[in-house]
Amino acid sequence: MSTLVTVLRLPRGPDPNGRGFDPNSTRFVALCPTTISASTETWTDSVEVGEEQRARSALRESFLRTLIAMTNKQVQFHMYERVEVEAKFGASDIDVLNFQVSELQTPIGVQKEALLRAKHRKMLLMTVYDADDPPIELPTDD
Amino acid sequence: MAMRQTPLTCSGHTRPVVDLAFSGITPYGYFLISACKDGKPMLRQGDTGDWIGTFLGHKGAVWGATLNNEATKAATAAADFTAKVWDAVTGDEVLTLAHKHIVKSVNFTQDSSCLLTGGNDKIIRIYDLNKPEAEPQEITGHTSAIKKALWCNNDTQILSAADDKTVRLWDRNSTEVVKQLSFDMSVSSMEYIPDGEVLVITYGKTIAFYNALSLDMIKTVDAPASIHSASLHPDKDFFVAGGDDFKLYKFDYGTKEELESYKGHFGPVHCVRFSPDGELYASGSEDGTLRLWQTAVGKTYGLWKCVLPGEFSSIWHGIGKVMTGAWFPPDVM
Repeated sequence: MSTLVTVLRLPRGPDPNGRGFDPNSTRFVALCPTTISASTETWTDSVEVGEEQRARSALRESFLRTLIAMTNKQVQFHMYERVEVEAKFGASDIDVLNFQVSELQTPIGVQKEALLRAKHRKMLLMTVYDADDPPIELPTDD
Repeated sequence: MAMRQTPLTCSGHTRPVVDLAFSGITPYGYFLISACKDGKPMLRQGDTGDWIGTFLGHKGAVWGATLNNEATKAATAAADFTAKVWDAVTGDEVLTLAHKHIVKSVNFTQDSSCLLTGGNDKIIRIYDLNKPEAEPQEITGHTSAIKKALWCNNDTQILSAADDKTVRLWDRNSTEVVKQLSFDMSVSSMEYIPDGEVLVITYGKTIAFYNALSLDMIKTVDAPASIHSASLHPDKDFFVAGGDDFKLYKFDYGTKEELESYKGHFGPVHCVRFSPDGELYASGSEDGTLRLWQTAVGKTYGLWKCVLPGEFSSIWHGIGKVMTGAWFPPDVM
């Protein structure tokens, strides 16, 4: 009886851009409750830290809802060197390091599918608009 | 009949991998740390080999690395004359312990409160991590560089192996030698198994098993090539070894029979360790890679998936180029 051993994928290698230890990983979030640097001088005031955490959670939720609302909408990215490109927004990766877009209009042509690196922007200002709706400017906390 | 297996190759290091260690089993799985001559020890998820982070800070080759049981702390020993303690969750450096020579070995106590170090200055040191600025307790006696120093017997004793061709058992409180083993050649590696108090020592082509409390010899096994490292399975039914001929060997611990050998590395194997659940073992090599090998080849575990003959074609279409696998009819090998 012959069996086959398959490998589902290869082990993930190091990220060339950073040293890792993803602060959004389950383990990090669970074991490092005070990883956010609080605005208060001392961290021993757990009430203030709790309130700050609630505020940050609300902001994070709002940001995530923004990303969801942008799905399939036309978006304009403001890049370095005053380059502006338009595309249909697809998704963001979990660390908000890359954005997946379609029909990216570039000065040298239209790219059907593309990944835009989130760090390659001085300031991220995405103008989201529908053909029928008026445009809404949604600043991100980049 | 031996089965061929598909190891998982973990790349990322740029120089030889000289030491590796697993954590215990934590609520987040278990973890693996690798020491490399490139000076950048890495933390990986133990069952998949996925990279988690790199501990940046050492200015020389890292010769030894370890994790505490909970994988919340890491310690490394380096050629820059320091041992460092790290937060293994954030990757931040927590402590630098200056030594007077290359540090080769680091080991936490069970409760992570103390760190044992040993290296080329021939002195074993015990640091109290709750009082890091205090002078460490020093244990002298070895006449050559220390390769490995490990806590044993519920952290009441210390085992050390050095280039003076001895393995010594020390009492932590008195710092006196309790017992000593002498060999004809330098010991290349040492592993301590707390459950059952077994000491695994390698020298030349020999893998030797001792009672860690009495230092009485249990048995020795000879391999086909010079061995650099060996590891005993948690259930004590197998052990694995690797060395100069680049291969990994798997032996039956009871019968001493060589069961399987695997090619894969492109350089000598420097270190090999079983995972805490015994499902896989990891090897580090001169070729700069770590490889993960299945203990029971063909089992579904981690990134390995066992596929029965009928399922093969549908998986190939589904995954396309991503899948790698090995299939051998029973009469091959």
